[in-house]
Amino acid sequence: MMQAIKINHRIIKEALRIRKVEEKFLQLFSQGKLNGTVHTCVGQEFSAVAFAGQLKKKDFIFSNHRCHGHYIAFTGDVRGLLAELLGKASGTSGGIGSSQHLCHHNFFSNGIQGGIVPVAAGYALAGKLKNNGAIGIVFIGDGTLGEGVLYETMNILSKWEIPLLIVCENNFYAQSTPQHINLAGDIQARARAFGIRTFKGNTWEPELLMEQSAEAIAFVRDQQKPCFFQVDTYRLNAHSKGDDDRDPEDVALHRQKDYLHIFQQQSPSYYQMYEEAINQEIDAMVEEIFKESDLPIEKYFQPSTRTDDREWKTLEPVNKRQVELINTFFQEKLVSDERTVFLGEDIHSPYGGAFKVTKELSFLRPERVFTTPISEAAVVGISNGLALNGFRPITEIMFGDFMTLAMDQIINHASKFHHMFNRKVNCPVVIRTPMGGRRGYGPTHSQTLDKFLVGIDNVKTVALNTFIDPALIYRSVSSEEHPVIVIENKTDYGKKLLHTRPRNFTCQANGDPYPVVRISPAVSAPTLTLVAYGGMADMAASLLETIFSETDLLAELIIPSLISDLPLDILTESASRTGRLVVLEEGSPFGGIGGELIAGVTEKADVKIRVRRIAALPVPIPSVKSLEHLVLPEKNRIIQELKESF
Amino acid sequence: MALLQQIPVPLLAVNDTTLTVVEITRRSGEPVRKGDQLMVFETSKTTYEVVAEADGFVEFLCEVDGDYEVGAVVARIFSEAAEVATRQAPAQPGRSEQPVPPASKDIALAVWEGETLFSQAALQMMEARAIARGSFAGRDFVSARDVEALEAGLKKPATSAGNPSGDGPARRQRPVLPADPSRVIIEKLTSGKRREIEYLSEVQSTGLTSTLHTFFETRGIFGHINHSMQYLKNSLLPVICYETSRLLRKYPALNGYFTGEAVAYYREVNLGFAIDIDKGLKVLKLGAADSLSLPEIEQEIMRLSNQYLDDKLDIGDLTDITFTITDLSGEGVSFFKPLVNKMNSAILGVSSIDEQLKRCTLSVTFDHRVSEGKMVARFLSDLKGRLESYQSRFHPAVHKEITCFKCFKSLQEDLGDTGFVQCITPQGQEAYICQSCLKGF
Ligand SMILES: Cc1ncc(C[n+]2csc(CCOP(=O)(O)OP(=O)(O)O)c2C)c(N)n1
Repeated sequence: MMQAIKINHRIIKEALRIRKVEEKFLQLFSQGKLNGTVHTCVGQEFSAVAFAGQLKKKDFIFSNHRCHGHYIAFTGDVRGLLAELLGKASGTSGGIGSSQHLCHHNFFSNGIQGGIVPVAAGYALAGKLKNNGAIGIVFIGDGTLGEGVLYETMNILSKWEIPLLIVCENNFYAQSTPQHINLAGDIQARARAFGIRTFKGNTWEPELLMEQSAEAIAFVRDQQKPCFFQVDTYRLNAHSKGDDDRDPEDVALHRQKDYLHIFQQQSPSYYQMYEEAINQEIDAMVEEIFKESDLPIEKYFQPSTRTDDREWKTLEPVNKRQVELINTFFQEKLVSDERTVFLGEDIHSPYGGAFKVTKELSFLRPERVFTTPISEAAVVGISNGLALNGFRPITEIMFGDFMTLAMDQIINHASKFHHMFNRKVNCPVVIRTPMGGRRGYGPTHSQTLDKFLVGIDNVKTVALNTFIDPALIYRSVSSEEHPVIVIENKTDYGKKLLHTRPRNFTCQANGDPYPVVRISPAVSAPTLTLVAYGGMADMAASLLETIFSETDLLAELIIPSLISDLPLDILTESASRTGRLVVLEEGSPFGGIGGELIAGVTEKADVKIRVRRIAALPVPIPSVKSLEHLVLPEKNRIIQELKESF
Repeated sequence: MALLQQIPVPLLAVNDTTLTVVEITRRSGEPVRKGDQLMVFETSKTTYEVVAEADGFVEFLCEVDGDYEVGAVVARIFSEAAEVATRQAPAQPGRSEQPVPPASKDIALAVWEGETLFSQAALQMMEARAIARGSFAGRDFVSARDVEALEAGLKKPATSAGNPSGDGPARRQRPVLPADPSRVIIEKLTSGKRREIEYLSEVQSTGLTSTLHTFFETRGIFGHINHSMQYLKNSLLPVICYETSRLLRKYPALNGYFTGEAVAYYREVNLGFAIDIDKGLKVLKLGAADSLSLPEIEQEIMRLSNQYLDDKLDIGDLTDITFTITDLSGEGVSFFKPLVNKMNSAILGVSSIDEQLKRCTLSVTFDHRVSEGKMVARFLSDLKGRLESYQSRFHPAVHKEITCFKCFKSLQEDLGDTGFVQCITPQGQEAYICQSCLKGF
């Protein structure tokens, strides 16, 4: 005979509500009324109640694919959840996100394993900077212990004393895989290795779990430090729907052990009463929600129409190096705007970053300048969290080649948050990085990888050049509401603004927030439209005279600075006039901006235009000078290819 | 002893490679003061006064009524009177001292004061043909094409396309007189008329033009158009200018000209509209018309017409026209053949609206060397379609606010085609009444 249990009925009701909502989902799913998939937490509900249910309103939660329980326990918004999964406009994410992408007040979930951990850390860091007493919880499964960004983040959490509680819901399976196949070592020992305090509990003793979780939450809040909680539990249903290969006996055993089951056995009348009330409530909501409509596409997506400014102003040289201009702007921004936070490897002064762009910043406002471990993914994730929580992080990736390590945070997090949470949030993160070769740094420190960065929806990519004051560009960047990647160029840092001024050409820029530069023959009509951006711009400008002399082609050079949305009208007009369009790229050509630009112009132009891309050879950039010179587009090859093309 | 000022024939309009001296206000050898008027040139569009830029003694190298090529020196001012006497050979009209490159839009015409940069190809050609660098003074860049163009200008100086001089085809014709000359009264052509003949001969004299006509339905067209118009109510001109200029982007061949060996396409659409109200026939320019809105076009037409009437036209208002519209709709014509202007490839003529048939003829004359009938037919049909789209049935929204005060039917709902009548209600208020309520069913 089982021991008589003593438990607070409010907790039972909370857990039961979660279970009934999810059972409803499974029912609707089997009736074909749900789109996509669901991951239920049937069997794990008390973890949600113990952690999410014991936070304060000002606190926050980041959760994963198995988030319904956390959501209900924290927000109480059953209706919003039901409507979301039924794909209605009144759903918590307008039906855009569905099961794994929920957002309500301070609750966020995302379906990328591990990726939310640094975002949660950034969100918590923001709370600490605001000194508002808020703390947060991030939920992960035991399978997610395989994700590296978790460890990058634990290291930082511990070092920076960020008040975040990591709850690892250990249900002994990752999708179909039993834990022993993929998990080495000990779970808690992982956190302890970073000096993070750990707790352990389970969902079969809910009263105890409530006490332990309260203690962990209090620890994080009072000590303003991270904490790691391992909750052993078991999911009674399949990973998502019908995909269960576990031993049925094992599952049956856990069904007996399930606390709600025990409660039902022991207090059948209470159970029945609660169950009926909850079911009634849910059925009423579902009936109502069915009558509602979906989000109209116009509310989700409005095509943006770029119109290029046509007021051309003559540019004047500035006797300052590009790096000084950037640095001065950053110093002013850091001091004048309390929301500005700088992050990056080795950015503390006196070192001031590998290229000295962040010089002096940490002397000015040490509390908002973070020199980070070598953890690009976590650092960008933390930046995302800061941005979600009201800050304006400007994050440096030391070399452009390292951007790949942060790509998940850029593409699956920063870029998607605004839309997948149905425009409830913005993530105005700024990531800046130097690209470009010609310094002999070799294959992993020289490449221009812009082509991987320009096709990310909702992310602007900007390339600085030596013609436009970087302060002007960074001012525009700072007022963006969505993520921006700024590509700087190593060889441009030391150049003065407009130091290259070809004879008999005029240098002008338009009034766009990210100005377009146009370098045209002073009087004559050009016979070639040349496009270059970033580090190639300066080189292209310096070649204009030679190109004319050697090829008889009189070029108009157009330099866009926003490269993720090209000034196609200006480009098309110029190319239609000259009949020739050449794009210079420092990256290799296939799938690059040159191809995109030429396609865009061709779509718009009414006349035939002859085109050419001149780009790097498709190999990693050699360190040895003679070969590096040949791999990157250089003078002789440019002239040669122009001669061949026209 | 010094030469203080040389006065070359100014470049006032791209299309004018020669100018006519219509007045010489001083005599050679006379002392002049800075600011004194010396002479008057006439272009195809306007007149231009030349004033002395220094105190000294003027010497004229030209005659009244002579045509002189742009760049030719036609007068000079010296510091001493004696210097004038020694130079008495007046420049021959129509013969310039320096070769003048053909004035095509592809070639830089503004003057550059900096150094001139030559491409290697250009230098090689120049060397082979013994052309001096100095021939390109005032240029920023000189490419092989520029050298070729210069050569073409040298070889066929006066008659080459795009570069006709004063003694071009129109003036070289031998006068035809009856056997007894006293039977006719001979009146000398005004320079304006001469200019007109020259202008129209350029394309027409080849005999390679053709004209196509179409008509478009005008029923109910003004209801919508007038809505956007502030001054020019019941006028087709603004909307035709508007639609034509946009359409020309699709038909670049109609917005260009035949250079003599190639086709030049203008980059801009500068629409000219012909006007002739007491002050002589002029073609006024709607610059970059394809970027103007309908109200902007109306405003610009008003502005230019006022300037025209006040004799205040700017040279810029008359030059660089890339396509012309001639509107004879006020003259009661049913159709006519417009003539293509020099350095244009087509012209659109608008006839009067036939009030009975509710239609209006559009005619396009085009230079067959640049385009052909099929293209122009498509152009006309496109234009017709665009204009007819203004008919009120396509734009029901416009009449939203007009309702019959008696039956509350809106003009939009009205099935008749007579429209509503403006009236005063028994309460003394201005209102509209529909035909049914007015006349009974
Ligand atoms: C980065 C990433 N890789 C793979 C997946 C596919 N996936 C979704 S849930 C899941 C299993 C996660 O296991 P665990 O973290 O233990 O959580 P549980 O499902 O057990 O709650 C996997 C592999 C994913 N969503 N994200």
